[in-house]
Amino acid sequence: MNPRILLWLAVGLVVWAVIPFVVPRYIADLLVFTGIYTVAGLGIGLLLGHCGIVNLAQATFYGLGAYASAYCTVMMGLPSVVGFLVGAVISMALAYVIGRPILRLTGYFLALGTLALSAIASALFFEWDWLTGGTLGIGGIPKLDLFGFLLDRPSRYYFFVWIVAFACMAVARNLVDSRTGLMLRAMRDSSTAAAALSIDLQALRTKVFVVCALFGSLAGSLFAHHASFVSTQSFTVDRSISFLLIPVIGGATSIPGIVVGALFVTFLPELLSKLGDIHQILFGLALVAVVVLMPEGLVGAFGKLRARLAKRGGGNG
Amino acid sequence: MTLSLVLQALFAGVTNGIVYALVGMGLSAIFKGSRVINAMQGEFAVIGAMTTVLLLTKAGWPYPAAIAGGALSGALVGAFIEVAFVRFMARKNASEDSFLLLTIGLALTLSASVLFFIGRDGHLLPPLGGEGVLIILDAVIQFHALWLIAIGIGATLALRAFYHRTTIGLSMMAASIDADGAATTGINVGRMRTFTFVRGGLLGALGGILVTPLIGVDYQLGLNLTLKGFAAAVLGGLTNPLGAAVGGLTLGLVESLAIIGISSSYKDVVAFSVLIVIMILMPQGILGRAGRRGG
Repeated sequence: MNPRILLWLAVGLVVWAVIPFVVPRYIADLLVFTGIYTVAGLGIGLLLGHCGIVNLAQATFYGLGAYASAYCTVMMGLPSVVGFLVGAVISMALAYVIGRPILRLTGYFLALGTLALSAIASALFFEWDWLTGGTLGIGGIPKLDLFGFLLDRPSRYYFFVWIVAFACMAVARNLVDSRTGLMLRAMRDSSTAAAALSIDLQALRTKVFVVCALFGSLAGSLFAHHASFVSTQSFTVDRSISFLLIPVIGGATSIPGIVVGALFVTFLPELLSKLGDIHQILFGLALVAVVVLMPEGLVGAFGKLRARLAKRGGGNG
Repeated sequence: MTLSLVLQALFAGVTNGIVYALVGMGLSAIFKGSRVINAMQGEFAVIGAMTTVLLLTKAGWPYPAAIAGGALSGALVGAFIEVAFVRFMARKNASEDSFLLLTIGLALTLSASVLFFIGRDGHLLPPLGGEGVLIILDAVIQFHALWLIAIGIGATLALRAFYHRTTIGLSMMAASIDADGAATTGINVGRMRTFTFVRGGLLGALGGILVTPLIGVDYQLGLNLTLKGFAAAVLGGLTNPLGAAVGGLTLGLVESLAIIGISSSYKDVVAFSVLIVIMILMPQGILGRAGRRGG
């Protein structure tokens, strides 16, 4: 690693560590959400960027994680780590059972199949109020307690969430760089050729879907312990759509792109909301603009711009 | 479960089914003509219905004129979207997914615009044929539902005739089957794609206007109708707009049987589960391969 990159990395680390103490509380709060959304968005990015799968069901797993944490800690009085584990196990099992048949679909059919899945899950969250509390939700979820250190403020929880997010990024990076990643790229670029090399496409896609569900559930549990309150409104189809926007806006194949996308979907609505009720329209238009003008996402567009500038600079010099 | 209850459910199923069919036919027509899955098809219904409401209550137009205006607004928005966005992206060879994301973004924008400009409240339209009801074996059927069924069937037949009898319809079919071949015979393929969106918008708006007297329209109606319309189109084989009519009816009937068999709250769960199962087991739709011809 050359010293320049190392320097940038060090500067980034310092900025990252100092930021929650210098910004107002509501920005620290948004940064916590950015971390949570990064975790949820990573899985969708893996599916979209490396398998060409549009996953519109992430709110399902996000909800499962959140409800597992809420139910285990509030209703059963178990330690919070149990909630994380129960959510993860249920999500991965469900992703495997559903993923096996549904991932046989391709393209639009798969995208709308997952959207239908999200609609079913959101209806069931609403109906099973003995488990989820329905629209009233479950409140009083305890803040996380790390060996006696209570993560009760955004500035404290920030570090925990982001360390989890960085760990998930490392997992995603390893997955992409591993043998599995090579198989994924082969499958994305030519599924027929990949199948001819005896790659089990079905199993491969299911594996990534399960990883995606795991990230979704983790993000959900993190959310439950941050918000202290979960209800059906947080796990609707709209939420699945905004999760999908994270890799779309940032750039699906790049892991920093996911962070950019997560910043976009957490901060932009907040900034626009200062303009009043019109902010939802502007957010929709911003999305349309990104899709039409920057098909590779913000990070891809930035890379292209840099390449163009470098070329021009090289030509002149 | 009494006979009248079943009869009531069947009528409700056919009524809803026709609405899903109209939305689904629009979706399917757009997919057939442009290979774009239109995730804002349900928003056409909202646009059509809201425009009709505004023309009727704010501008004071007579009801039939307001309905025509509402349907026309759907067609215009359809044309605008094709000319402003789809054409541009098609020129850049955008992927399937980008078109899906584009229409999702447009759906968010439109739904937010309705919320901002018109408000959160639901709106109703007066029922066609008055408030009267028809009672058959204790099952109550609103006159409006009968009108809805008649108009729905009429629109479906008109669509079929349009595809098979008119030059524009035949040209649109040709352009969707083989764009290069159609271009060599002098068909303006780009313009045909615009017409496809016009018709998709028209059908979606009509569905929205017809369903509003029964369930009302608000800014959130679009997404649900999009999903139901897509389910109808997939059941019918996706590339066959007339198949979507069959698919919509099937979906409506399955839903209302689920209501009397299980519980009304599981209606969407059943409908979407059927969608997923059919997509996996019968990728060609319930009509099978034969359904791909026609329309």
